[in-house]
Amino acid sequence: MGALPAATLPVVDPVMDPESRAWVAALTGEGGDREAALDRLHALLLRAARFELGRRRGQLAGLSAAERQDLATQAADDAMMGVLARLDDFRGLSRFTTWAYKFALLEAATKARRMAWRDRELPRPPEDWVALADPDGRPEAAAEHAELLATLRAAVAEVLTPQQREVLLTVVAGRVPLDVLAERRGTTRGALYKTIHDARRKLRAHLAQKGLLAGEEVSR
Amino acid sequence: MMSLVDGLLGPEEPEVGCDDCFTDLDRYVELELAGEDPDAHLPGLRAHLAGCLACREEHDSLKALVAGEDG
Repeated sequence: MGALPAATLPVVDPVMDPESRAWVAALTGEGGDREAALDRLHALLLRAARFELGRRRGQLAGLSAAERQDLATQAADDAMMGVLARLDDFRGLSRFTTWAYKFALLEAATKARRMAWRDRELPRPPEDWVALADPDGRPEAAAEHAELLATLRAAVAEVLTPQQREVLLTVVAGRVPLDVLAERRGTTRGALYKTIHDARRKLRAHLAQKGLLAGEEVSR
Repeated sequence: MMSLVDGLLGPEEPEVGCDDCFTDLDRYVELELAGEDPDAHLPGLRAHLAGCLACREEHDSLKALVAGEDG
């Protein structure tokens, strides 16, 4: 008998480390132990949220200490909901604390980006975005770089859909954070990134057809 | 900082999306900190981090936070 196809083999989780196992047991338990675990989890998430906001101190310079504290608490609260909603997904492939931290970092980073842009109009994609490109430092490559930029400019105008063009240029040339654009458009980071990804594939395929991307598959 | 051309073209390699990146980010960071090659276990995530600034920032934060605790 041949080997079973991989898809039908049972998924065997690795042995969860004792500390992670204790977290899951406490959070899925009842009574006082669960309440205590929830308190410890919130403290852990708050620490991670503060860590993230601390890394973004410059971006949040206009906030008072109380506002920063409030933002950290909101991030920890939302992260707590995320952790508890997805607790069944935790398989012990990392430590529980590392797994939980990422929820708080995501919430804090997203809130900080949006806070930094809260009273600002989003800039239109710059018309002359090619002027923002860094020149290639090598003199011998200058002509090649200019050709690449010219072809890229034409491809952005002709190959992309209006939606792809606006999203790609707003994020890449306009430097608008993906989360901020997602909030204004009522969509998600993942959905917007998919738009960017598809646009990039089109641009790469176009440049490859023109022989301007070494090693790129023309068929893509 | 990524050049404009690199930003417009994105990573050359196949990549995962933001949701899959979030799902595996904790494992990726622990593999990195353990000195292993995370891309061998989680293909497509490194390429995504190269192409997505938001996910890359959160990766960098998680790595710094966990490394600080382990250190």
